[in-house]
Amino acid sequence: MTELDPVRLGLVWRRLAGMVDEVAETFIRTSFSSVVRENHDLAFSLLDRNGRQFIQTRKSIPSFIGTLPATLRAMLDKFPLETLKPGDVLISNDPWLGTGHLNDISLAAPLFRNGRVVAFAGSTAHTVDIGGAPSPTARDCYQEGLCIPVSRLVVAGEENQTILDFLNENLREPEETLGDIRAQLVAYREAEARLFQLMDDEGLEEIDTVIDEILSRSEQSMRKVISDLPDGRYEDEMTVDGFDHPLTIRCSLIVKGDGITVDFEGTSAQIDRPVNCVLNYTRAYACYALKCALDPHAPNNDGSFQPITVTAPEASLLNAARPAPVWGRHLSGHYVPPAVFGALSKCAPDRIAAESGSPLWNVYFRGRDSRNDRRFVKMFFMNGGHGARAGSDGPGCLSFPSNVSNQSIEQFENQVPLLVTEKAFVADSGGDGTFRGGPAQRLSFLNVGEEPLLMTIRHERITYPPRGLQGGTSGAPGLDLVDGKPIPAKSETMVQPGQTVTFQPPGGGGIGDPKKRNPAHVKADVASGLLSPAKAKSVYGADL
Amino acid sequence: MSVTADLRLGVDIGGTFTDLVLHDPKADRLVLEKVLTTPEAPERAVLEGVGKILAKAGFGPESLKSVIHGTTLVANALIERKGVETALITTTGFRDILEFGREWRYDLFDLTIDPPTPLVPRARRFEVPERVGPDGRVVTPLDEEAVRRLARQLAGSSTRAVAVVLLHAFRNSDHEVRIGEILAEEAPELAVSLSSEVTPEIGEYERSSTTVANAYVHPVFRDYVARLESGLKQAGFTRDLFLMLSDGGAVHAKAAVTYPIRLVQSGPAGGAQAAALFGQAAGLGDVMCFDMGGTTAKACLIEGGRPTRARDFEVARMHRFSKGSGLPLQVPVVDMIEVGAGGGSIARIDGLGLIQVGPDSASAQPGPACYGQGGEDATVTDADLVLGYLDPGNFLGGDMALDVDAARAALLNRIGTPLGLDAEQAAWGVHETVTENMAQAAAIHALEKGRRIDRYSIVAIGGAGPVHACSLARKMGAKRIVAPAAAGVASALGMIASPPSFEFVQADMRRLDEADWPAVAGALDDMEARGRDMLRLSGVADGDAKTTVSALMRYVGQGYEVETSTPRDVAVSASTEDLRQRFDAAYKALFGRAENMAVEIISWRVVVAGPVPELTLKGSGTVPGQALKGHRKAWFSSDGFVDTPVYDAAKLATGDSFDGPALVEARESTLVIPPAARATIDPSGAILVDLL
Repeated sequence: MTELDPVRLGLVWRRLAGMVDEVAETFIRTSFSSVVRENHDLAFSLLDRNGRQFIQTRKSIPSFIGTLPATLRAMLDKFPLETLKPGDVLISNDPWLGTGHLNDISLAAPLFRNGRVVAFAGSTAHTVDIGGAPSPTARDCYQEGLCIPVSRLVVAGEENQTILDFLNENLREPEETLGDIRAQLVAYREAEARLFQLMDDEGLEEIDTVIDEILSRSEQSMRKVISDLPDGRYEDEMTVDGFDHPLTIRCSLIVKGDGITVDFEGTSAQIDRPVNCVLNYTRAYACYALKCALDPHAPNNDGSFQPITVTAPEASLLNAARPAPVWGRHLSGHYVPPAVFGALSKCAPDRIAAESGSPLWNVYFRGRDSRNDRRFVKMFFMNGGHGARAGSDGPGCLSFPSNVSNQSIEQFENQVPLLVTEKAFVADSGGDGTFRGGPAQRLSFLNVGEEPLLMTIRHERITYPPRGLQGGTSGAPGLDLVDGKPIPAKSETMVQPGQTVTFQPPGGGGIGDPKKRNPAHVKADVASGLLSPAKAKSVYGADL
Repeated sequence: MSVTADLRLGVDIGGTFTDLVLHDPKADRLVLEKVLTTPEAPERAVLEGVGKILAKAGFGPESLKSVIHGTTLVANALIERKGVETALITTTGFRDILEFGREWRYDLFDLTIDPPTPLVPRARRFEVPERVGPDGRVVTPLDEEAVRRLARQLAGSSTRAVAVVLLHAFRNSDHEVRIGEILAEEAPELAVSLSSEVTPEIGEYERSSTTVANAYVHPVFRDYVARLESGLKQAGFTRDLFLMLSDGGAVHAKAAVTYPIRLVQSGPAGGAQAAALFGQAAGLGDVMCFDMGGTTAKACLIEGGRPTRARDFEVARMHRFSKGSGLPLQVPVVDMIEVGAGGGSIARIDGLGLIQVGPDSASAQPGPACYGQGGEDATVTDADLVLGYLDPGNFLGGDMALDVDAARAALLNRIGTPLGLDAEQAAWGVHETVTENMAQAAAIHALEKGRRIDRYSIVAIGGAGPVHACSLARKMGAKRIVAPAAAGVASALGMIASPPSFEFVQADMRRLDEADWPAVAGALDDMEARGRDMLRLSGVADGDAKTTVSALMRYVGQGYEVETSTPRDVAVSASTEDLRQRFDAAYKALFGRAENMAVEIISWRVVVAGPVPELTLKGSGTVPGQALKGHRKAWFSSDGFVDTPVYDAAKLATGDSFDGPALVEARESTLVIPPAARATIDPSGAILVDLL
């Protein structure tokens, strides 16, 4: 690059970011799995020769933040840079090297120019089935499906048939998974062509200088915000439902100068149930929470996370060791952002949100549809109420910390023999406060088919609801019912024809003393039916 | 005094000006007029303008055959929340669908975001016992007594409009229709919108949002059209008033008032139609309309002389123009992207030490620093002024003097000094950054439609469009730019160039091999018959109405549909193989490959359109070689300041040609032609710039 003035750097950076978004868009639109297309359960990135991620597509989910660099470094440990050939593509879904469960397959391809690797294109995408028998009762990770060790999926342009055979034999829906993998291979070729076009247009022989600038400016931006926080150690501890007994998540933030250490010392040991979380996943959510709170508008790359160190005790819930089952890693990992916010609220109370109705709720229905004699497995996502923010109420049921949209009920009913009989806000379910938490929602499903169907759930926050902050109260806890009677939150149930199942994910926590809430807002909540007059009087002291 | 001249008049109400264009087909001549917009009663400006332009052209009102009108009234009512008090009636258990939205964060990292606020608050969302299943069969009969009680309650309230949205009503509308009847009996003064009529498509949230928005603006729009019609009548105009729809079709006012939501993009659709006309006049089939104004820039792809269209739209985005922060509408629209990149967009240094432009902009007061009204922010207009692209003494034809020193100071304070750049470098950085933002947005937009942006030429309109068009072309890889002569009144011109047209969509989700072909034939016939009725109202004979049919299809399991056009006969002949091949071909054209998987149909689309009106564009200048009016210094990255010739757009004549760098000044804008480019004036009076 002839000269890297800020104007030129800004333009090249914009073009790189736009290019990655475009390539990711190609992948999304040709993908076969609805989680990739509709929930953007993917990441697409450019990384440098050392595995540092310098651009990540805007359409990617928080649990993939910063995981690809760790995956690529593990790949390069096995296949060193100098052994790679043009046309190679590396693959792995090892939970400990990737994103924490087998369902996410990561790929990376070296981009050669004039015989030299100038960058890597990398991506991770969720696959609904990875073989095996993942279930809430799994005792180790071997039950949870096929693990693909770090391998060369494509060798100098030739697909490695052995790996494809393994996938074909072990997966229930190999066409969908292989279709998504091939869509990523197409996207890599496009990424390569566009990166080189950009380098030609800009007259760049290499892009190392640009990458260094991108990473160092992002890092400086984060360091500047951190250095404005008072030095110190800030702690939070939360008790969570767990499986057979409650578990502890403990978080300490150590702010020192322009760096932060997030330490989960004191967190419960891993258990032999699939709620454990590998350190990569813990780190992704800790970094995500800090970026939300401290530097939300900076681009998403490795630079922002350089000032952050994340540690957790070996073989704990947040740093599980093999062979712990990890399929439901979000059941502990989604507690990381609220734990980080809880600690951060002690030094930066204006930058955080109270707890939301997560870990994300979902339900699997499996059965046979007698209308068309097809078997089905259908997943349905449900978001709880969002926690209150420092200056505003929590929205009802906005996804956090994952980012999963709801599904159309009309589309859902066309696909499975279930009738949704309600999807509604629940009154008096948001935590109270100067700013209240988002209300919970309630969903009911009636089995209108002729056969029983198998329902699998793994829900949290039944015993320990989302907490409020600074005098705000907790949101309503979650609820799982069959024909009005509670069932265990982590269970498999046969739902008979004519039975109704009801789910109520939790409400969000409130912030601040309820007595200080703007009386007009109390009145508005009563008018909307979200706050009962009795509670308006007793909690908010409203004179209606 | 005058004979009937079959004149067509296009009228576009903008934020500042109401533009009018009159076409006299006998003389093949265009007459243009501009009057100030009267926001409190927009019809006043229209009526004033009509009087003025007829006087200018020397005709009486009886000579007008048709008036085609576009308006931002509907969009503004939604953005400014100035519709009427509206209620929603829905299936028991689902009154909060409107508020849940998609539950998805449109900004992953910003903790302070809110979902769009629904147009109907919870207290006015009512449930009635009823339920229709996914196959259209009634699960729970409608409780008519409950509806009647509710109707009486609404009749006695301040509610003025009602939206009725029941689950699966796109498949079986009986309950919605019955509720409509009961409301008509018990509360005849309420404006009622049924989802099965407004948008019979699958997806309860989007259908609710669309139907509610339609109800919310309906009385406002209906009253406005009534006032306008009566005003025109008093002025002696007795023929037909047409309204411009968001997809670039024009329909008779009588047909338009039922579905005002279809006018949400009425004005911009006129601009896109005009760009299509300009592109064709220049002999270009595929062009990108680039409309850059004071606060935003819009882009629309035009292919084969027709703007590309989409089936959904988001209005009133609350958050940095983010997708997901507005109200989703299922309406046929000219497919446009809009980004916060206009002349007033504010430039600053972000946390990374780099230049960032927009998405926020300096409003008219105090405006860009160069307006000299106390504005201290550096804006795109300030940058364009410092670079010499704009003439400080000739902005808006000299109506507004610009302060170069104030612009320079703002650019130095906000950008130059902190980054160690001089004023020109800072200005260049701002100019390039805002153009790059647009180029990125256009490239993604094209890709989302399965296109590559580099094969389009650019038609530049709007106040800032011509200033940035050539830089944008370089970034997009485009080779040719068209700066049309009538760019200042583009939307109004586009309206008289639009064919009468109406689109219908009917959801019918089925696997291709399980389609109910007699039912498909019935649905297509019904949509076509309704379209022909609408066109007959618009004076189009059945023989002149053309019907096109397409199926929205996808591989089973996919989430995006691909529009597959098909002759009507194929669609109803149960020829699944033919339709399958058409889908595979359409899919391959978009994604480069087809799959060997089962295919499903999601919905059917029918467009009934009349003939496209013919009109010829001509330039204003007559004698070549008269347009050079002087020189001034303008900055180009390759050369720094260059003494650049300045031409008067009004005096350019067909056959004129010159090399860049050059500046061409019109009243509303300035075309910036960089070095290594050549400009020629074509027979339509447009300036064609070829980048060399």
